[in-house]
Amino acid sequence: MTRAEPRNARTFVRLLGFLRPYKLSLVVSVLLAFASQAGSLTFPWLTGDVVHAIQAGERHRLPLLIGVVVAVGVAKALATVGRRLISGNQALGVELDLRNALYAKFVRLSFGYYDRHQTGQLMSRATVDLQAVRFFLGYGLIFFFQHVFTVVGVAVLVFVISWKLALVALAVAPAMVLLAYRYSRVSHPVLRDVQQKMADVATVAEENVVGVHVVKSFAQEQAEQDKFERRSEALFGQSVRANRQRAFYVPVLSFLPLLGQAAVILAGGRMVAHGSLSLADFVRFNLYLSLLIFPLRMLGMWVGEGQRATASGERIFQVVDEPEEIGDAPEAHELPPGPGRVRFEHVSFGYDPARPVLRDVDLELEPGRTVALIGHTGAGKTTLASLIPRFYDVQEGRVLVDGEDVRDLTLASLRREIGVIAQDPFLFSATVRENLAFGRPEATDEELARAARLAQAHEFVERLPEGYDTVIGERGITLSGGQRQRLAIARALVLDPRILILDDATASVDAATEAKIRVGLREAMRGRTTVIIAHRLSTIALADEVVVLEGGRVAARGGHEELIDGSPVYREIWEHGRLERQVAEQEVA
Amino acid sequence: MRVWQPGSHLVQQRAVKVDDWSWAATKRRLRALYRLASPYKGRTALAIASLLLATAVSLAPPFLIGRAIDEVRNGRTHALGWIVVAFVAAGGLGIACSYAQTYFTGWTGERMLADLRNHLFRHLQRLSLGFYERNRAGVLISRLTNDVEALDQLVTDGVTSLVQNSLTLLGSAVVLFLLSWKLALATLVVIPLLLAGTAAFRKRSSRSYRGVREKLGAVTATLAEDIAGMRVLQAFTRERAARDHFRRVSEEYRRKNHETVVQNALYFPFVDLLSSIATAVVLGYGGYLVFDGDVTIGVLAAFLGYLTNFFDPVQQLSQLYSTFLSAVAALDKIMDVLEEEPDVEDAGGARELPRVRGHVRFESVRFAYGTGPEVLHGIDLDVPPGTTVALVGHTGAGKSTIAKLIARFYDPTAGRITIDGEDLRNVRQESLRRQLGIVPQEGFLFAGTVAENIAFGRPEATREEIAAAARAVGADEFVDRLEQGYDTQLGERGFRLSLGQRQLVAFARALLADPRILILDEATSSVDIGTEQKIERALRRLLHGRTAFIIAHRLSTIRDAGTIVVLEHGRIVEQGSHDELLARQGRYAELYGSWAADVA
Repeated sequence: MTRAEPRNARTFVRLLGFLRPYKLSLVVSVLLAFASQAGSLTFPWLTGDVVHAIQAGERHRLPLLIGVVVAVGVAKALATVGRRLISGNQALGVELDLRNALYAKFVRLSFGYYDRHQTGQLMSRATVDLQAVRFFLGYGLIFFFQHVFTVVGVAVLVFVISWKLALVALAVAPAMVLLAYRYSRVSHPVLRDVQQKMADVATVAEENVVGVHVVKSFAQEQAEQDKFERRSEALFGQSVRANRQRAFYVPVLSFLPLLGQAAVILAGGRMVAHGSLSLADFVRFNLYLSLLIFPLRMLGMWVGEGQRATASGERIFQVVDEPEEIGDAPEAHELPPGPGRVRFEHVSFGYDPARPVLRDVDLELEPGRTVALIGHTGAGKTTLASLIPRFYDVQEGRVLVDGEDVRDLTLASLRREIGVIAQDPFLFSATVRENLAFGRPEATDEELARAARLAQAHEFVERLPEGYDTVIGERGITLSGGQRQRLAIARALVLDPRILILDDATASVDAATEAKIRVGLREAMRGRTTVIIAHRLSTIALADEVVVLEGGRVAARGGHEELIDGSPVYREIWEHGRLERQVAEQEVA
Repeated sequence: MRVWQPGSHLVQQRAVKVDDWSWAATKRRLRALYRLASPYKGRTALAIASLLLATAVSLAPPFLIGRAIDEVRNGRTHALGWIVVAFVAAGGLGIACSYAQTYFTGWTGERMLADLRNHLFRHLQRLSLGFYERNRAGVLISRLTNDVEALDQLVTDGVTSLVQNSLTLLGSAVVLFLLSWKLALATLVVIPLLLAGTAAFRKRSSRSYRGVREKLGAVTATLAEDIAGMRVLQAFTRERAARDHFRRVSEEYRRKNHETVVQNALYFPFVDLLSSIATAVVLGYGGYLVFDGDVTIGVLAAFLGYLTNFFDPVQQLSQLYSTFLSAVAALDKIMDVLEEEPDVEDAGGARELPRVRGHVRFESVRFAYGTGPEVLHGIDLDVPPGTTVALVGHTGAGKSTIAKLIARFYDPTAGRITIDGEDLRNVRQESLRRQLGIVPQEGFLFAGTVAENIAFGRPEATREEIAAAARAVGADEFVDRLEQGYDTQLGERGFRLSLGQRQLVAFARALLADPRILILDEATSSVDIGTEQKIERALRRLLHGRTAFIIAHRLSTIRDAGTIVVLEHGRIVEQGSHDELLARQGRYAELYGSWAADVA
């Protein structure tokens, strides 16, 4: 298994590291595999002995030889049972370890990482790549050793029988190795492209199922079908190409050993006639060569599997080696009790450090007060809010919660005190109860219902088929955007957090529901420091104070009186809202 | 409708349950396969012929080696030349046949799958929205991808392997009997044991594998959901609990898989042991037969060769069994979809709908989704061409249902809907939808460029027309700022637009399609003021000169509408212009009052 690039070799060695906990079982299973292969190697020899006995007319030797064959057969079977049990367990163990390790890593990777990577990509590391690695580490290596053992064993034995004939027989070996290597080289890019083409087909399939409304609305069925068929045909073309390669290499690879055997028949036959080789050895020789056919054919396959496992291993290590940007500092301590004062000290931050989103933000949020963050899209509102629970680390300055730099605190104790309600809330496929108690599994039913009432969710939850025990999400009932949003608010309130962050949380509910939620929110915000990111005047009205962000800086802050003259952004929002209100008031009156 | 469904594009490994082995079910499967293969009869025949020949040729070497040994033993070395020629010729013929067989089965198999995939896609496109609402997106996607792949294994490798192994098995047995029936009978006494062992293994193993697939499905589902929801998971510091849960799911999978390890660890060495016993019989009994002059040493050697040929296929066939089960399950699932009939279909004599003026009428329309409760109870509505109708009411009042009926995504259960006097059930769906523009709440974008997305309804539109549409709705501003303008890639792998920008692209798309009737589900999400005003302007531009139905959420939209229809529990409770309805001091005035207060 030679590898051109040292990087591949390093990955390969690292992969072997996963076997370390199974060192003993690996050694035992390899030894057992050798034992059973050694058993197989005795059969041609014993056959030779039988031939010899027949020729010599020693009928009495037969029962003994048969007994040996049966004994070896039993021993071989027992060794294989042991080997399969041990290596099977080891394979499952390696898979479990790898999967758990990968998951543990996923959980530690920070928001920034998930901003840059798609779910599908990460999934395929934990499924497809993992399968390839475990298949190779679990079974491939042992089979590989087993085949190598057989090939070496046969080579040694045929040399012992007759080195001249052995040289004749093994003349084809270099050609086979070369051909197997070539096959794995040329097939690799083609097979990879087949995978890519499959992904292309899947993309169109996915879009057309998920976006079926749009396709039908615009009567574009035909065009989409053409698109799908084009990709489907491309996949067909590439699969046929891969197939044609296989159609050529596999038969040729199995033909070459036949050539060797033909040479042996010819040369060996003459040697027997000349008396330089016994008939028994001639029979042995031929039987040994037959033993080679299978391992040699498989060798190419295992080289390919090794390559695949290395490529997959590399993708897995990419995840494993990803630096954990956000984690507990060695000296991190718990967030002490406090009123919920938040301070941004000269904070600068950018998702890409070269392109700062926040520039030198200096801001203090008083405990128990509600601050509305407003500003145009891209002004940095969501970014600023997500620095408080330390979803990202600042590049300059610091963020303080109750006087503590968030980087000095344990993440668990910090986030436990912050309730976050995102713009597009994610709920899990679980019961309503489990979703609400997500941040505090020990919460009582009364506490959950109370939070749900505040968020205006209790009513509709009660009307669900099984109330709080209704399963929602992919495997359950589908909720509307507004309903999901209200559950997300309730979920945050269950935490009873010191600080509450609402990122445009009432954006996707209708006006009547929003009004109701607002009443609940007013109640919920009491005694907590609250940050609201909002566009509607009605939501902004919940706040004690407004902070206007512009281009990553605090452009203005204060109450209505100060801002109406001081901030064009605020005035824009206010005028728009006022217009609507005026018209409405006139008409209602 | 949510665009992102966690894990929808991922492997949906569901439990494979193939319990229906009745003749009817089997016939259905066979007929489906036959229909797929029948356009390629010639190639299928070639594939089968070359497979038969390749298998037959592969039976030659042990026999030839046996002959060679006998010739050598009898000192007739000159005969070796012919044997070697035959040997090499058999090998050469084997290469040719294997090549032909691999090529033809591969080609036919892949062709059948491509046909199946295309056919399935076409069928899915014909199915009505009702079907999509009853079935989860993830499941449907996996029909087109994973299930077709599962069939792939069967159609290309599986069938070949099945035929080849069965033939080798049979062929070897026949040759054994031809060489020496006595020795063959003696050797094959192990067969009953082999059959009994294999049957027991197959039964247990298929049950265990089903369990394994179930557990693996749980692992995948957990993983997909947790990765999709990782931000929430971390925000609520559930890392430890999630990890423990995942470990448990993972461990269950391992435990289930352990069953298959034990089964394999017993079965395969068992077959191996039987093969050793058969070898012992050949050497022992065969040895005596040689002494008695019944058989030659060459026949003994040939027998040993054929025994390998005999036992290897048995193992291979056992391994094939689980592949076979998965494939049959996949085939069943695909056929279920293919047998699904569209709820809404063009009537036999359906006509082209000529270009309409846009006069829409509902006449005592009643409707229920499937067998569910009635959701519209007798709707009467007359909308003159060019009118904008705002549909107003609480969630569940029937607003979207009315919109879906106009697009004929469903047919009314009673009453009728006409456009320019033409009953929708009598016109071809395509000619109707070509004249409709439907803008859903969330502007769904396809992977492709901005230009392709705008031109979705009219792919032949020129770049100028596309830019003009974008300009008309005010989308040109942000598009021009994109690095590659209209050629910027959007969608999963491309640039992500904000909600407001997506909305504007959707408007431009609708405008370019130039529909006669517009159905618009207004987005509820608020965007920042600048964008908000742009959207209002774009909307006015879009509505101009068309009949429009808007599921309205913005006060400005409702006020500007020519007719406001207030729905409650599937009935129209009020209808009229904004001023009329306010003056009436009824339900609308009440609703409006509360909205106006909210805005404040």
